Amino acid sequence: MMNRKFIAGIIVFGSLWGFAECIIGSLLRDVNLPAGAIMTGIFAIGLMTLSRSSFKQPGMQTGIGLVAGALRFFNPFGGCFICSAIAIMAEGLLFDLIWTGFSLDLKKTQTITIQASLGITSTYLIYIGGYIITQILTPVFSSAGFYLENLIVFIPQILACGLLAALLGVATVPIVFSLKKLNIALQDPLYYPVTIGTSMFCWMFVIVNTIFILGI
Amino acid sequence: MRKDQLLPIFALLILFIACTSSLYVYASQATTDTLLVNKQYYTINQLFSFTKPRLLNDSNSMGIALDDLMVKTGVSHPEQHIYILKGVDGYEKTVTWENMKNGLLTKGRESIFLDLPKAFNVKNIVEIEVK
Repeated sequence: MMNRKFIAGIIVFGSLWGFAECIIGSLLRDVNLPAGAIMTGIFAIGLMTLSRSSFKQPGMQTGIGLVAGALRFFNPFGGCFICSAIAIMAEGLLFDLIWTGFSLDLKKTQTITIQASLGITSTYLIYIGGYIITQILTPVFSSAGFYLENLIVFIPQILACGLLAALLGVATVPIVFSLKKLNIALQDPLYYPVTIGTSMFCWMFVIVNTIFILGI
Repeated sequence: MRKDQLLPIFALLILFIACTSSLYVYASQATTDTLLVNKQYYTINQLFSFTKPRLLNDSNSMGIALDDLMVKTGVSHPEQHIYILKGVDGYEKTVTWENMKNGLLTKGRESIFLDLPKAFNVKNIVEIEVK
């Protein structure tokens, strides 16, 4: 029973993240805002922190990243969608590794200092980690190939652009922990209808939006 | 010491790295009106004056053909080289001759390739190096 709940959790959190990337991320790019840093610093880190602190299960965020990345792949608009999909998947995996590496599942409540530090550390590392991984994998999957020197010269720029994401993460993580204290939880009979309904809405919205834009 | 108690130290270190990198990037950025193509400087208008235009229907993008640009700027045996497109912010991408045959340079100095992901769209190009 727990496994089904866990999988439904992965699907709903991944769908919400993917939906935000496709719809809100595209809108942010359209108005020339730094969509990548904003999406990671607010939505990605917020949803992954909420899911991890709720389920306390290693591996969950890797799954969430895979679902969100798959959904982003269905929406070929707004920037490099292959790069975005790869970055999202990498971010999920990196969050999982950071959370497990710092043994954050062991303690129920964290001090505000630890929460803020977690916000900076995890947001910055997943953002620049995702950025670097996508800079490697996107050329690998293309006909041009990967050249290490292209990445090395751009490292200072990547390290710099993670700053905004980190500054957003320092607020997002404590906010999520504060919301958790409200103890808002879905009743068991409502859990599956709500998670499945939300996930279906996210996927249908993105697919219909893609079809609409393509004019099929 | 528990592992999570190390987080504030990591956070401070990260902020230091991110701020230092931002200062470095800001200090090292320079604007220029010219492009260095195959070791020679040109303005974008000069390049547009002698290179044949290209239109990519898929992306509705217009510009000059990158393969023709290389030939016109004196690259011999172009298929034997690789090409590094460098942006003003340090972003660079290396592409093959086959990619150049499907690519264009816009008036806004951005590269666009029909056969490559958007990650290869280098903005504000300042140099095209032939290797």
